[in-house]
Amino acid sequence: MLQKQWKRAAEFLTFYIESLEKDFSTEYMGPSEIIWRIGTEILCHHPHSSMKEFNSFTEQMKTLGVKRYLKVCLEHAFHLLCNGLTDEAYQNLSLAESWRFGEQTAIQDKEMKLIQAYRGLLDYYSWSKQKNILLEHGQDGFEDLSVEQEMHSCFRKAAVNLKEIIKIPGVWDLFVKCYVDLLEFYGDHNEARQVLNEYAYNSKFPANPNAHVYLYQFLKRHGESKKSLISALKILHDIVPSHELMIDFNTMLQKSKKRKKRQLALEVIFAALDYASWKENVKAWSCLARQVKQIVISEKHLDWIKQEWTSRKDWWPAFHFSRYLAKRNWQENERLSYEKALVAGILLGKDCKYFKYVSHQGCKAQVKRFRILKRFVNKHNPVYLRISGLSDSSVQP
Amino acid sequence: MEFPAALFPSYFGAGPPREEGGPAPAAGWGEHGQVLEAGPGRRQAETAFVPRRGGKGESWEPADAAAVPVLPPNASCWVPLLAPQDILYHGILRRKLRTGKSGAALDFTKQLGHFFVDHPEDAFGSLGQLLHKNFYLGNSKLRRQARDSTIRMTALMEEINCLEARRGCPRRHLASRLRWFSHLCRDWLFEVPLGLLADCVHEELLLQWAGLLFDESPTGGALAWLPPEDMGAHVGRLVYPGGQAMNHLYFQDVVLEELPRARGSPAQFELNGRIRQVAAARVDGEDFVGIRSDYHCGVWRVPGRTGAAPTPLQVIRTSVPASCLTVSPHLPGELAVSTQSGAVYLWSVEMGLQRLRHDPQTMFFRDHSPWRWSDFTAHPRVLSCADRTGLQCLDARAPERCHFDLFKVGEEAGCQQGERVVLPMYLGRAHPSQHLVTTQFSVYVLDERLPLVPVLKWAHMMKAPPLFAHLTPGGPGRSHKVLLGTSRTQELLLLQYQGGSQSACQLVGSPQKLHSIAGCLQHLPTQLPHRHRLLQQRLGVPAAGLAAALQEDGPRESLLVFQLSEAGDVFCQRLTHEAAQPPAPTSETEAAVAPGSSPLFEAPASSPPGLGSEEEEEEDEEEQTFYLSNVEVIINEEEEEEEDEEKEEDVAPPGAPEEAKLPQEPCASPQPSPAAPSPAAALRYRRWLKAFSKGCREPPRHAWPPTISQKRLFTRKELESPAGPSALHRQARQRLRQAMREGGRVQRWDPPAPQPPALPQPPEPEGSPDTLSARLTASWSGDWWQWWEERTSFNMAQRQRALRERRRRQKRARGRRSLSASFTSSLTYQSELSELSDAAPPPLSPGRPSVLPQEGSPPGGSPPASPVPEDALLSSQSLRCRGIPKERRKMLRDYLAVWAEGPPEPPEPPGSQASQLCIPLSQSQLSSASQPRRKRPRMGF
Repeated sequence: MLQKQWKRAAEFLTFYIESLEKDFSTEYMGPSEIIWRIGTEILCHHPHSSMKEFNSFTEQMKTLGVKRYLKVCLEHAFHLLCNGLTDEAYQNLSLAESWRFGEQTAIQDKEMKLIQAYRGLLDYYSWSKQKNILLEHGQDGFEDLSVEQEMHSCFRKAAVNLKEIIKIPGVWDLFVKCYVDLLEFYGDHNEARQVLNEYAYNSKFPANPNAHVYLYQFLKRHGESKKSLISALKILHDIVPSHELMIDFNTMLQKSKKRKKRQLALEVIFAALDYASWKENVKAWSCLARQVKQIVISEKHLDWIKQEWTSRKDWWPAFHFSRYLAKRNWQENERLSYEKALVAGILLGKDCKYFKYVSHQGCKAQVKRFRILKRFVNKHNPVYLRISGLSDSSVQP
Repeated sequence: MEFPAALFPSYFGAGPPREEGGPAPAAGWGEHGQVLEAGPGRRQAETAFVPRRGGKGESWEPADAAAVPVLPPNASCWVPLLAPQDILYHGILRRKLRTGKSGAALDFTKQLGHFFVDHPEDAFGSLGQLLHKNFYLGNSKLRRQARDSTIRMTALMEEINCLEARRGCPRRHLASRLRWFSHLCRDWLFEVPLGLLADCVHEELLLQWAGLLFDESPTGGALAWLPPEDMGAHVGRLVYPGGQAMNHLYFQDVVLEELPRARGSPAQFELNGRIRQVAAARVDGEDFVGIRSDYHCGVWRVPGRTGAAPTPLQVIRTSVPASCLTVSPHLPGELAVSTQSGAVYLWSVEMGLQRLRHDPQTMFFRDHSPWRWSDFTAHPRVLSCADRTGLQCLDARAPERCHFDLFKVGEEAGCQQGERVVLPMYLGRAHPSQHLVTTQFSVYVLDERLPLVPVLKWAHMMKAPPLFAHLTPGGPGRSHKVLLGTSRTQELLLLQYQGGSQSACQLVGSPQKLHSIAGCLQHLPTQLPHRHRLLQQRLGVPAAGLAAALQEDGPRESLLVFQLSEAGDVFCQRLTHEAAQPPAPTSETEAAVAPGSSPLFEAPASSPPGLGSEEEEEEDEEEQTFYLSNVEVIINEEEEEEEDEEKEEDVAPPGAPEEAKLPQEPCASPQPSPAAPSPAAALRYRRWLKAFSKGCREPPRHAWPPTISQKRLFTRKELESPAGPSALHRQARQRLRQAMREGGRVQRWDPPAPQPPALPQPPEPEGSPDTLSARLTASWSGDWWQWWEERTSFNMAQRQRALRERRRRQKRARGRRSLSASFTSSLTYQSELSELSDAAPPPLSPGRPSVLPQEGSPPGGSPPASPVPEDALLSSQSLRCRGIPKERRKMLRDYLAVWAEGPPEPPEPPGSQASQLCIPLSQSQLSSASQPRRKRPRMGF
């Protein structure tokens, strides 16, 4: 199998099955587990296997191991779903849901919950399909009661199952999104908000950035106040400073009139640019450049920049403003090099390698804004001295 | 970078790993894990789902049959590595211990003994000098005055030798003299107190044994590939250790061709320690190469342009062995170092060392291993630190305050009990916030934005824990290739995954096993056994590193995987990416196998028609063969037909006869017949082998022809005074001396009184030997004539008389009988009859007894019918007197008559039959014309 010789693997597996003599169906681990796993894998890759064969094999496997029944059902449903056979998968899940055998173990309990959740998910999809039909026809002034009723029953089935699983700690992005969508459609905003809050802030759940993103998007959809939006994003910033929503957060904060928020904006954008993934993000660099420029022009709050810069001055030059990067940025993305050169010029002074290279190239290429940039940086060179703490008192503007 | 809008569902629980029955035997196979809606937000009529595992991956096919050497073999006489048999106890004790299952038995006494023998000065130096006058080791008797102050040690030495020779013998008794001596001088004889020395030796042995079970020092691997600056250039650089002690560092330019080829001589640096790890990263167009040996770490800078010489930058020395060295992919000249004392340093070439953490304890739970690891993360100032229990991320600016847990061996990641982190790796080139963590059971992909929850998990099912990993990032829309390598078993596994930013991480394709170094042994030219063994040892040493180079040649892509062995040999294999081609290769190889594998069936068709008669004779057998193979074909018919469809029609014309299909039959289940290596590869093998054997020709100093000391086998006494030399001894000695004088050989050891071997005695005839074996026995022993006589005249009458007597007795005993009883009796009678006639051949003597008569054929052919007893028995009177009812007498008589004539054979009158029967062979030969049906005698006489 590791050499993709599926045909031979299939032959060997048949020999293996034939050579078994004992009844192993009651053991959790053991031959039946091997047969199921390897058989499934082979059938997924074998050039001559078909869906029909796969189904019949899986049905046999379900009866082969009682303790694995739910797991096999779940995997079978996954296979059907991935092959676009949603209805069959739904039938399978419903059948598995009604299965009872003795006392359920903890694992079986979890598997059962997953089966129910996936069934709920499929119910949700059929609900949204019917909703779309109704919305389309509703515009024509045509209403179909039966479709509507069916849609509501789908909603009920989906809601019950989805609600169950998202109470348990885990990563349930898919289920939470669907459940919130359902609730929002029926106007139960409080419940939806509660669910999202629970998903984002319950400490038993993993620190999932998506939970905060969903909450933020929900709040934004419902026109919540800036304050609550900012507080939602602040928490996201704390757990994932490199999240792509940080640009939104930064712009939102920059617009604020409060000094503290604007300081936070600077902090956020500096923190985002610490990450390797943002290294060449033009948007982020222009945000930083804009804010730094503002501060320099207004000549207020230079200490904010200084504060941010102190912890970065030993490694940002090498990380962002090396001569190699200046060359590459100039070649690959002129706009990026412009924004970066501005920041470099202010933070590192006019003798900085990055600024010198880019402004030189820009002037050589007769681009106007680079000339303006050069003049700006030259003019505000004392700021650099203050930021870097070279001369605190001697050069006062 | 974006974060996926939705992640695959999973449970999250905190706490120690769940208790399960160990890893499932095929834990990874056959699962999709979970499914997720594909392309979120896309409005489609039918929602599509993608699985977490099992999606379509890229196809990377091995281009060659086995790994091919890239460089000539490393230093020819490499020091063989420690093997278990070097430090384990052999013999009975071990077997006992094994049955008791108390683990490995370390041969502690042997090691201690080696120390005493190899370093006598260190072991007994001063007292030895003081006492050497008082110990006498010669054979002669001591003189009287010397006896007062000197002991003769010869006997003691003999006993020690004796003890050694009988090592492992269950009946070994400890000599009292030895015990006495050791009691006497245990406390003062040794330079180092014995207890202390023993403790140290034992500790070292335990360490060595632990290293044999799992050696963590090569973690990370000591092989690095520095790709060319622009992907178009085909010259990269391989960084690897070499030399006898693996303490030379080489930077070798390698040209990527069909088989990678070294160009020029390598830049070489000699270091003062075995190189354990080579780590490399490219920052700002320059490569930084970190080298870790046990107590030293160094960093080299290699300019990007080809041909530029590498420059050493800095070296640090650690007091505790370093266990990890990684190079920052973000900032030039920054490295992370961990030592076994639990310290983590950020090492900058400009700023020096900054200690971030020093904690001898493990992070999440107690584990005895001092192994530590550290690597970089998406944030250049945040380092990940690992021990066997998990990973934590530390901010170098405030390491005490700012840290978070990235991975924990526990329920959070669904780990098993006993699972331990083996190798963490930053996957920054695939995605800036992804990390790889391998354990002995599974491999995890983590996203630092979602700590503790692995975004991917796969039970790798490798035999040993993967100590090496390599990432080949794929571009947008492509999968990232992760290579995992183990040390001891040389396994290589290729995994593919994709996602991380727009979509959630998915494992795609099926895992693929690559060639190991040892696998090329079968493709090397055949060697003499001892050479083969040497080669086997050399190729089978544990792997020490792994690297890969992606080569893009227009549309054709290939991945060159380099593997380094602990002996310092670098092997390579090429995987080609089959993007555009349909999945043809399987049928292609099968077609290639087919013609060669069935010469048997092709031969008759192509043979010239002149051999017709011979073929006709053998027709029977051949038909059978064909028939049998037809049966086999039927079994696989369905599959074969499908294959034919795949191969298009012109390969096998539809009208071809059944035999034409036969050659394809074996390919229904193709053997994993290793395709032969390409000519270029074969040339490489030959060259490598030549260089290897040239190095081996010079025998190592210790490998003189072995001399065997007889002292250990016998005591001097035993040797000196044999218990009275017997005549045999004397003669043997004489012969030996004579042979030595003549310079000849003692060819055969003849016993003094040569006796001709006795002929095998004829076996005693058992209870009732059948006639044939009796006759054979007789003819074997040469008195067949006598046997014949005996046979013919063997008181026939007497026997008949005895028989009759018996029957009469039986009859009397029976008395009145019912019909059924009489019937039974007739049956017994009949059988007795046959017994009699069988035992009594006609009383005729053959003319020449030395030659076997024609009658030699078994009785079934021509039964000897003797008229005398027959008449006597068949007379109605006699039948009546035997109590046979009237109505049965006729039947019996008829039956016996028929039987007497002999079953189907010659329907001749009994008289002629009798005359024919007694014709000896010479006469029967004369009359053979009249008897054409008797083809040949059945017996071989």
